[in-house]
Amino acid sequence: MLNRRGKALWSRIIQLLILLWSVSTVLFLLLRLSGDPALILAGEGATPEIIEAIRIANGFDKPLITQYFVFIRDVINLDFGNSLVNSQPALSFVLQYLPSTLKLTFLAIVFNTIVAIPAGIWLGAKPNQRKRRVLSTIVSVAQGTPSYVIGLVLIQIFAVWLGWLPSIANTGPGAWILPTATLAFALAPNLIRVLAANVEDTTRQDYYRTAKANGANPTELLIKHSLPNALLSATSLLGAQFAFLLSGALITEFIFAWPGLGLILVQSITNLDFPTVQATVFVVACLVFFVNLVMDQVFRLADPRLRKSQL
Amino acid sequence: MSAEAKPTEVVMPFSRKKFAKKYNRSPLTLRISSTFLGLLFIVAIFQPLFYRVDPFLADLGLRLQSPSLGGAWLGTDGLGQDVFSRVIAGFRWSLGIASVGTILGGFIGITLGISAAWNRNRVRIVLSRIIDIGISFPYLIIAVTIVSVVGRGFWALGLTLGLVCWPTIARVVYAETLTLREREYVTAARLFGVTAFRSIFTHILPALRPTLQVIAAFVFADLLIAESGLSFLGLGAPLGTPTWGNMLNESRTYLATAPWMMLGPAVAIVLTIFTANLLGEGLNAREQARSTRVSQ
Repeated sequence: MLNRRGKALWSRIIQLLILLWSVSTVLFLLLRLSGDPALILAGEGATPEIIEAIRIANGFDKPLITQYFVFIRDVINLDFGNSLVNSQPALSFVLQYLPSTLKLTFLAIVFNTIVAIPAGIWLGAKPNQRKRRVLSTIVSVAQGTPSYVIGLVLIQIFAVWLGWLPSIANTGPGAWILPTATLAFALAPNLIRVLAANVEDTTRQDYYRTAKANGANPTELLIKHSLPNALLSATSLLGAQFAFLLSGALITEFIFAWPGLGLILVQSITNLDFPTVQATVFVVACLVFFVNLVMDQVFRLADPRLRKSQL
Repeated sequence: MSAEAKPTEVVMPFSRKKFAKKYNRSPLTLRISSTFLGLLFIVAIFQPLFYRVDPFLADLGLRLQSPSLGGAWLGTDGLGQDVFSRVIAGFRWSLGIASVGTILGGFIGITLGISAAWNRNRVRIVLSRIIDIGISFPYLIIAVTIVSVVGRGFWALGLTLGLVCWPTIARVVYAETLTLREREYVTAARLFGVTAFRSIFTHILPALRPTLQVIAAFVFADLLIAESGLSFLGLGAPLGTPTWGNMLNESRTYLATAPWMMLGPAVAIVLTIFTANLLGEGLNAREQARSTRVSQ
C-alpha cells in the first residue's frame, strides 16, 4: 500500500520536474527567439555601450547551447537573476507576494463554498420547478460573464455609487470583500451547476431508492444520502479548477491593485522585467502542482472508492 | 459481424433543402444561438456599414458625452470617440482572434489527442502526461508571458491563444478516440489492412465531429474571454485599438464621471460569450437527442 503510494508520489514529482523544465525552456527560447535579449533587457533609449555591457554581463555573446546550460544550472540553483526594476533577487521578490495571492484565493474558495453549496443543492433537489429554472438560467448567463466585467460592475455599484467599500489594494477586511467576490464569481456558477447535476444524479441511484423505500424523510434523504457523494465530486472540481482560479486572480489583482503574484506578473511584463516574469511563472507552476497533490491526497482519504485505485 | 464497416456519418454535399430540414429539427437553443452568432460574424465582417461615425475619429469637444438618442447612442469616451462605433469595431478583433485561436488549438489538440489514443506504448504515456500537465496550468498566465515576447498584433494574439487552448480539446479527443478505436468497424478495417492514417481520416475524425463541434464552441467562448482579458490587462491589442478589453480598461479611469463607457463593451462581451456557450449547449443537446434516438 505504502509502496504504491510512494510510487505515485514519485511519478508526480517527475511530472513537476518535466513541467518546470518545459516552462523554463519555453521562456528561454521565447526570449532568445524574439530578437536580441540584451536589447530587451536594456530597455528603450539605451546606448550601444550599455547594451554591449549587458550582453557580456549576461553571457549573451556565448553560443546558444552554452547559454542554455548556464540558464538551466541557474534555474536548478533557484537563481533567476535580479529584477531589472529594483535589483532584488527575482525569486525572493516574487515570494514576498505569494501570501497575498494565497489569501485572496483562499477567501474566494470560502466565499464560493458558502454561496454555491446551498444554491447547488437547492437547484439539484427539484430541478424542474419553475423558480429554480429561473435561477439556473441566471447561473448559465453568469457562467459566461468574465471576471473583469463583474469586477468593474461591483466597483461601480459598491464603491462609486454607494460608497460602502474601498475598491483598491489590500488595506483591511473591508477592502477584501470586492476582490473576493469578484474572484468567487468566476467559479461559483460552474460549481453550482456541477453540484446541482450531482445532487440530481444521486436521486436516481439504487441506494437512494432503497433508502426512500425504507421510509427515510426528504431531509434525511438529502443530507445523509445525496450530499456526501455530491459534495465529493464538487470539491474535486474545486481542486481541478485551481489553475482557472489563478488565471482569475491575475485579472482580479489587476482590477483592484491587489499586491499579489498576478499584479507582479502584469507589471513585470509591462516593464519587460524578464527575470521576475520567469520567477513568477516558476512559483505559479510549483503552486499549482502542490495544490493538485494535496487535493489528490485529500480525496484518497475522503473517498473510500479511490483508496484502492492508483494515482 | 454485421454491416458496421461503414462510417457512422457520411459527409453530404451541401444542399439547401437538407440544411433547412436539419435547421428545423435542431433544438431551439441551437437555432437561436447559431443564427445570432452568424449575425455577429456578419457585423464583424461588414463592420464599416454599421459605424455611426468613424471609430477612430477623436473630437475633444465631444468628450465624455452621456448616451443620447440624437447624438452618440452609447456616449463618447475620454478622447471624444464614439463608443457605439468602437464596440462594433471590436467585433472584428474579438471574433477574429477567437476564431484563429480555436482553429489552431483544435488542430494541435486533435493531433495530440488522436496520437496519444492511437498509440499503445510509451507514446501514449508521454503524450497523455503532456496533456495532463497542460490542462493543470493556468492558461492565461502562459498567454500573458508569450504575448510579452511575441508582440501584440492580430495574428500574434490569435496564434498565442491557439498555443494555450489545446489541452482541453486534446483531453476530450483522447478520451473519445480511446473508445472509438475499439469499435467493431475500426477493428474490422484494421484486420482488412486499412492503414492507421486512412482509418483515422475515414473512421475516427468523422465520428469525432459532433464532439468537436461542442468543444469548439466552448473553447471559442473561453478565447473570447481570454482575448478581452489580455487587452484589459494592457497586454493584448495595442493601446488605442478599438477592442472591448481596451475599452473596458480605459473606462476604469472614468468610473465616477462616465460610467456609460463601460456599458457598451461589457454588454457586447457578455452577449457574445453567452451566445457561444448557448451554441455549445445546443450542439450538445442535439448530440444527446441523436444518441438516444440511435440507441432506441
